Amino acid sequence: MAQTNEIVHVTEHKGVKLVRLRSGAIREEREADTLGRELLALAEEPGQRIVLSFLGVEYLTSLVLGKLIQVHKQLAESGGEIRLADIHPQIREVFRITNLESLFKIHEHEREALARFLSDAER
Amino acid sequence: MPVGPSQTDDLGAWTEKVLPTNLSAVRETEREVLGLLRDLQYDEDHLFAVRLALEEALVNAMKHGNGFDPNLSVYVWYRATPERVEIRVADEGRGFDPGGVPDPTADENLERPCGRGIMLMRCYMDEVTFSREGNEVSMVKHRQP
Repeated sequence: MAQTNEIVHVTEHKGVKLVRLRSGAIREEREADTLGRELLALAEEPGQRIVLSFLGVEYLTSLVLGKLIQVHKQLAESGGEIRLADIHPQIREVFRITNLESLFKIHEHEREALARFLSDAER
Repeated sequence: MPVGPSQTDDLGAWTEKVLPTNLSAVRETEREVLGLLRDLQYDEDHLFAVRLALEEALVNAMKHGNGFDPNLSVYVWYRATPERVEIRVADEGRGFDPGGVPDPTADENLERPCGRGIMLMRCYMDEVTFSREGNEVSMVKHRQP
């Protein structure tokens, strides 16, 4: 079942929510707030697993990083997790510099992130 | 109003902008600065770096400096040559101590939502200095590292 919101498009794959961003740049505070709100709504279900794909996203700022951290914290409290995928090299560098690579699991592609999530659940 | 940089040195004239405390003004300023750098044929890595640092500085000025008070302004000065780009951003807030911002990369601070803007400015620009009051930041990016 697919769900399209203002900022994100969501599909579900065996209990894992795959989230894609509908815009190539999340820059303004309002957009970052909306993204955070939409992700937090998805994270309300205890133990929810989310793959956030940055496919097509070429730019973001620390506003978005702050929202991702909020989502990570909410999910972690209920045993859920958000993993990231398809990150443009310049944005990947932002995650490296800020040491957020140690907070988030980052996969090359959303397909790999989904597969790893499912295989980790089977262990 | 902040005094702004001296116009008397030989590195070229500054362009000055006075912005309302409104995040929609950020994009227009970015467009102008990046347009200037594109005219000077800066590469995409430089454009990404300057865009990120400028945006973090402007958002900080409006959000943390001016507290989104629509009666306050943000002042921007910029200039570029084929060798370097310089940007200054000042707000009308009470300032802050940049040394007092916790290191956002430390394990104990990783989950805190703040502090990454200043860090990104420092990483992506070659020189970043704050005024003593903390309400003006000067940034320089050299074309050659």
